[in-house]
Amino acid sequence: MDFIRYLSELPPVKLDRLYESHFTCQAVLRSLPPIAKQYVLRLLFIEQPIAGETMRGWAKPEALGKHNAAMERLDQLRVLLETGGKSGKKDASYRLNPVFQQQLQRALSGAIGPPKDPLPPALASHKPSPADLNAYALKQWESLLLFLANAGAPGGERRGDQEPSKMIKGLLRRAGLMGTSDEGGVRISDEGFRFLLMDLYKQLWVVVREYVAEIEDQGLDGAQVTCFLMELGFYPLGEPHGVNRLSSLQKRVVEDLASVGLVYIQKAGGQSCFYPTRLASNLSASLSESSTWQPAEGFIIVETNFRTYGYTTSPLQIAILRLFTRIEYVLPNLVVGTITRESVNTAFSNGITADQIVAYLQQHAAPQIRQRVPVVPETVADQVRLWERDRNRVQQSRAVLYEEFPSQERFAAVVDYARQVGALLWQNPIERRFVASDGRHDDIRAFIRNQSRT
Amino acid sequence: MVNALKGILIECDIPMKQFIVSINDQLPNAQKFIIYDLDDTHLFVQPHVADMLQNKVKDFLDKITYEKPA
Repeated sequence: MDFIRYLSELPPVKLDRLYESHFTCQAVLRSLPPIAKQYVLRLLFIEQPIAGETMRGWAKPEALGKHNAAMERLDQLRVLLETGGKSGKKDASYRLNPVFQQQLQRALSGAIGPPKDPLPPALASHKPSPADLNAYALKQWESLLLFLANAGAPGGERRGDQEPSKMIKGLLRRAGLMGTSDEGGVRISDEGFRFLLMDLYKQLWVVVREYVAEIEDQGLDGAQVTCFLMELGFYPLGEPHGVNRLSSLQKRVVEDLASVGLVYIQKAGGQSCFYPTRLASNLSASLSESSTWQPAEGFIIVETNFRTYGYTTSPLQIAILRLFTRIEYVLPNLVVGTITRESVNTAFSNGITADQIVAYLQQHAAPQIRQRVPVVPETVADQVRLWERDRNRVQQSRAVLYEEFPSQERFAAVVDYARQVGALLWQNPIERRFVASDGRHDDIRAFIRNQSRT
Repeated sequence: MVNALKGILIECDIPMKQFIVSINDQLPNAQKFIIYDLDDTHLFVQPHVADMLQNKVKDFLDKITYEKPA
């Protein structure tokens, strides 16, 4: 899940509301592929529809694939609207979404930056440094992940020194990352295990999306929240912002998001202000996948003998390693574990895939072995994949077996039909038997009935 | 008249198939679960044995792999 997917799944009405903020428009513009960016800028000051034919002429014939991809993306995001002509036909013409167009014009020509607030003198002396903000953001976010990871570890969910707020727990549950265990406690779900191994940016969006949905369920204005989050991304880092000019909903968002580390709230002398952190700017700035901000240096070294060394003190990272390695020693700054068949099998049964494990080891490889090709030794990567395949050696599927067809022609016709509906699993024309998946039984039975009537 | 039977299609490699067949052979007649032995890599079995088979296969694979003691 990421920002663009999120936007393109929204209903048109909501999407148009989001474009009423020029911050969203800028964020979307940033996230587009280069060719689509160019189209938007070309069309920015044209208020008449442009024929699709003309637009196709902008791209060289050999770049038609890219052109189509760009057009599709723009269409999905409702940046480009089809007007006139029969829709979907060749003679369709396009224009920019008027709301989007107006806001982007404002943003680009009006030079409106994020609002600046003078810092109240009571707070000025305690201004946190960017490093402080980073550390704060990471600490908050890790405590959330740790809570989740501990909920999955045997022995209880209460080991973390800091519990996330009730609201955050609600979000995790909403997102399907946590369920209720048999004993009534919290239990991490398969989805949750996968969540732990995702990169930071994706994790962030999972939580934010649920947060917006939650706000909407309470009958509040979700679009305002999304716009505000986009806006946060354009605030310069380490600059304070007054709370007073925010609407009451925005104030609430700031308070809620402080607990996951998106913003840092400073209070003194009855006044308060907030600082967006790297996490917040990441929300919209890293829309292009290239610039993912890795919060921490890599720390894992995997050896060809399956030994895994993690140079870390973070309980979260130890908890994640514990998901798929057998931990052997825990030293003050180092955990040593082994990747074993048993340990990865536990991970598989939690819904984690071999590719995710390898990708995690790769992403968090220690700087010393970053240069090595491949980062994760082939023996280890291959063995983990082989173990996964071993688990799926026997495949079972609910199915229906059909037999005793009166003639070869009838048999062939039914098999053809089953293949067309995508249900055919196995066939033997000599014995006139075939097996099709369970789900399509009704269709196939109807087909056979029809056939025997004629 | 065409006949339709509900069950489970099992798809696996040749050794695994033989293993499943041998489980079936060890059971008394009343509990045999293989309906059709389709070919080298496919079996059609009774619907209720899915979990039992999965466990047996898992136990078998655990038994034949060496795990370094902790």
